[in-house]
Amino acid sequence: MSQLEIKNLRIAIGEKEIVKGFSLTIRSGEVHAIMGPNGTGKSTLAKAVAGHPDYTITGGDVLVDGVSILAQEADERARAGIFLAFQYPSEIPGVSIANFLRAALQARLAEGEELDATAYYKRLYSKMDLLKIDRKFTSRSVNDGFSGGEKKRCEILQMAMLEPKFALMDETDLGLDIDALRIVADGVNTMRGPNLGVLMITHYQRLLDYIVPDYVHVMWDGRIVKSGDKSLALELEAKGYDWVKKELVTA
Amino acid sequence: MKPPTELEAAPAPDTATENPVIGIDQSSGNFSYKVDHYAFDAGTGLSEDTVRYISSVKKEAPWILEFRLNALKKFLSMPMPTHWATKDLENIDFSKIRYYLSQGQKPKRTWDEVPDDIKKTFERLGIPEQERKFLAGVEAQFDSEAAYSNIKDIVAKQGVIFVNSTEGLREHPEIFKKFFGKVIPTGDNKFSALNSAVFSGGSFIYVPPGVKVAQPLQAYFRINAENFGQFERTLIIADEGAEVVYMEGCTAPKFSTSTLHSAVVELVALKGAKIQYITVQNWANNVFNLVTKRGVAHEEAEIKWIDCNIGSRLTMKYPGVVLKGRKARGEVISIALANDGQHQDTGAKMIHAADETTSNIVAKSISVGQGRSTYRGIVHIPKHLKGCKNNTECDALLISTNSRTDTYPAITVRGDANSVQHEASVSKVSAEQIFYMQQRGLSEGQAMSLSVNGFINDLARQFPMEYSVELKRLIDLEMEGSVG
Amino acid sequence: MSASALTETTSLVGSFTDEAFAAHLASLGAAPAWWLDRKRAAFEKFASLPMPRRTDEHWRFSSIGALTLDGFALHSSVVSTEFAPAAAAPATASLSLVNNEVATQVAPSAELLSRGVIVTTLADAALKHPELLKAHFMAQPQKLGSEKFAALHTAFVGDGAFIYVPRGVELTAPVVVVHAAAGPDTAVFPHTLVVAEENSKVTVIDYFLSADAGAHFACGANDLYAAHGAQLTYIAAQNWSRDTLSFQFNSTIVRRDARVQSLNLHLGARQARHESMSQLQAPGAFSEMLALTVAEGAQEFDQRTLQVHQAPNTKSDLLYKNALRDKARTIFSGLIIVDPDAQKTDAYQTNRNLMLSDEAEANSLPGLEIQANDVRCSHGATSSRIDPEQEFYLQTRGIAKSAADELLTFGFFEEVLSKLESTTLHDGLHDLIKAKFKK
Repeated sequence: MSQLEIKNLRIAIGEKEIVKGFSLTIRSGEVHAIMGPNGTGKSTLAKAVAGHPDYTITGGDVLVDGVSILAQEADERARAGIFLAFQYPSEIPGVSIANFLRAALQARLAEGEELDATAYYKRLYSKMDLLKIDRKFTSRSVNDGFSGGEKKRCEILQMAMLEPKFALMDETDLGLDIDALRIVADGVNTMRGPNLGVLMITHYQRLLDYIVPDYVHVMWDGRIVKSGDKSLALELEAKGYDWVKKELVTA
Repeated sequence: MKPPTELEAAPAPDTATENPVIGIDQSSGNFSYKVDHYAFDAGTGLSEDTVRYISSVKKEAPWILEFRLNALKKFLSMPMPTHWATKDLENIDFSKIRYYLSQGQKPKRTWDEVPDDIKKTFERLGIPEQERKFLAGVEAQFDSEAAYSNIKDIVAKQGVIFVNSTEGLREHPEIFKKFFGKVIPTGDNKFSALNSAVFSGGSFIYVPPGVKVAQPLQAYFRINAENFGQFERTLIIADEGAEVVYMEGCTAPKFSTSTLHSAVVELVALKGAKIQYITVQNWANNVFNLVTKRGVAHEEAEIKWIDCNIGSRLTMKYPGVVLKGRKARGEVISIALANDGQHQDTGAKMIHAADETTSNIVAKSISVGQGRSTYRGIVHIPKHLKGCKNNTECDALLISTNSRTDTYPAITVRGDANSVQHEASVSKVSAEQIFYMQQRGLSEGQAMSLSVNGFINDLARQFPMEYSVELKRLIDLEMEGSVG
Repeated sequence: MSASALTETTSLVGSFTDEAFAAHLASLGAAPAWWLDRKRAAFEKFASLPMPRRTDEHWRFSSIGALTLDGFALHSSVVSTEFAPAAAAPATASLSLVNNEVATQVAPSAELLSRGVIVTTLADAALKHPELLKAHFMAQPQKLGSEKFAALHTAFVGDGAFIYVPRGVELTAPVVVVHAAAGPDTAVFPHTLVVAEENSKVTVIDYFLSADAGAHFACGANDLYAAHGAQLTYIAAQNWSRDTLSFQFNSTIVRRDARVQSLNLHLGARQARHESMSQLQAPGAFSEMLALTVAEGAQEFDQRTLQVHQAPNTKSDLLYKNALRDKARTIFSGLIIVDPDAQKTDAYQTNRNLMLSDEAEANSLPGLEIQANDVRCSHGATSSRIDPEQEFYLQTRGIAKSAADELLTFGFFEEVLSKLESTTLHDGLHDLIKAKFKK
């Protein structure tokens, strides 16, 4: 049982503050969804928690099982159990998926310990089969020349291989057709369980039909302004974000 | 595929008699001057006496004469740069060039005061009524001295100094002496040395801090005497936060023997200032046009050269920006069109000398017939700078079977905190595109013109309206007879 | 003769004096007269040509001050060290040369010999195949600045590799040649000559290495000739000692429908100049020119290339990638020439520099001279550090920054290595690079 605590987090890019006091605690086994209009700071939150160097934390804290990770480099955070499924995954020409995942898994082993190559490939192929990714992809460069859907599936494949404690999924549904969305959602749902906490960032309710969240939060101007269960997502879908805005004004 | 609106926008083809060279009616004969009307004439050939003569006519301070004589020594000692440049330079006969010629009038302020024979020449150049009015507000350089200036009174109200080089050095030495010859040292190259020895004419502009000059300052240069080289010297200083646009355009009558034009243009943009320098060069096809242009951009300042070369026999010109202050920006937009017998050897230099400086070069050239266009560039990012960026794009369009294009960039980058990207491509007009337009009823020549205009369209749009229209007309003319 | 005149003469030839040349000729034994005449003419040319000058465009950005010819010696005694080729691939034949003389030689199979395949020494070829040697040995003009050093090569070349693949013969395994220098201040003149006749297929690998850390002088050349429809792959892995001054000249001739792929891996030497010229002489000819450089310490790699399209419908594609660490310098100067009648040419030229340190310096001079209009030509040059977004992406997967940078650097090389058809070759070169990185 782990928990990821985000406490009153403030994030700036350059001089501009984007996230303005965001608080949320995610425990293993829970799936949280954050919804909100564009430019409200959702992606900034995910990237900053993962440790992107362009974002400055100006206040608050992020803790994994009570230990602050803010002083850690991105790779240390990853090894502490944070996984970011990118909205726009980087293309990395010349680095094959097989080598890449191998390096990532090797980085999680103690010094001097070697990855069991046979077991690795066996596991890799089974996860690929699950996500309906052609096995030939192992020799292709990471995301290089992939379609939008292939990139997103490749993200989920990495998540499945690296078995994080917490997954931050940034607009994973973006650019996916229904078939691809179903494959990705099935993948995530298979991973759901007592050892994984999920934070899904999405603009649309659609994804939540496939990966049903335990909690839904509405983010506005850098913080959570409303929380509820999955029905909140439906209400948002029906009434639009203006509804939240009006509520904010009246409050 | 081109949308039909663009096809409709095609200009009616000009007939040869009406418009053989941009806006000029050549049917009224040859408009060259007779030299015997000139009050001052330094004769042909170059010696210390020539330089002393020029300086004495201009009643210059001793330091300027010394500057000139020193430059002359440098010029004579420097070899022709033919180890990298074209051998055509060897055809310049410096002993036949006339280095100074002046009618001796003081610059005039109003149209009425302009001498009749100069007015007559404007008429003979076929400049439309509207443009004549427009001309009345410009610093028009006739031969070596400014014929008149008017706009200067308007901008003077803002504290802007807009004078010719002689006046600038005489009346405002405290402002211009500090920067004169500093951006482009005398010995920068053989032709900057030549200019430094015999310069006359050109503009000296100073824009005080924070002043944004609303209308572009303009100068028209024309060569009007056989074997008579022009050596303008322009220095523009934009003080902190100031903004100014300068436009220089030239047309020249046709002569039978080669003439030489060798200008030096120096720009200084102090902190936060912006200077834009626009040139449309259309010298006659016997002119050697060997020009040195460079600016220094201080902190957060911006210098942009927009340079279009259509005329001349040989142009060698690589506008440069020294990015001296943090976050300074430099840009060169270059268009070159080389037709039979022409060599456009143009390009850009970007010297990064401070952190977070950015530079951008976009060069497009068109070679027609046996024309040759060459791009030369230097991008230099020295040691220990951070966050510098350069982006360079060179595109060449070859119209005829044996048109020629060359590209010779030189890029130096030190350190891992900067990024540089250079791309160049060569293409021809798509036969499919031409066929498409012909199918819609355009002649091959018209279609070709449209295609070529399309090729440079994104750059042409950066010129002021009247220039971009002029450019389009010039290209139409150049493309005539290039097909079939 | 005055003292200054003497200095002048010495600096023009350095250690390669009249006496040294006479001694070299004397050591050649059975060489035919025409071969000796050619060498004499070359020596005269070498001795008369000036050293490169700063104003010479072909030497722009080069550290010409370090191009000294002094203090080198020709060692005639063969050091009988065995040099195992780095890629332990099965070979059609192999040849190793130490200090200009043959050390080991493995001939092609009897079957291949019977079909006319020749893998022999240059000295042997001079006696038995003079016509082929006359036609192809250093037969092309030097257009990239090193006329003097190319003449020096011809004058002093001792032994080398001669490979001839007859019409229609396809060799499945590569021919492997090792050129080694041993002993202090040794001068070596490696040469590999490959003639691939009509519709033949051959891969040749040249390894260049030093037996010790001596300050060697290497002045090598290779001549590649691909006749109608031939497929020739040429790999050069240069790994001289870090104190070596190296020159390497390539001439590639590509005839109708022939395809030549060359890959130069540059790892060793203190200063290495590489000049490579491909001439596309008939329709359908294709030359793929690849290079990878790992530059570190104070190494300087100076690469000059020329793609000459002399006939219509020809293609050339150049990709040179440099990774720079420490205070290393690289120079890439490339030129595509499209002759007036070479319509329908496809010519590409790309130089990418990966800047891995604050002090490294990359110079790019990508050039075009195009005199035909119906062509597709482009060039590109970039110099930049590792993409921080890619680095971050790898880090978010738990890979430490240093490991991420190494992965990305090899990713950078992979674009070139992946163009090799043979995975054995791919892995062999990859390992060579890795070894340099691990040092």
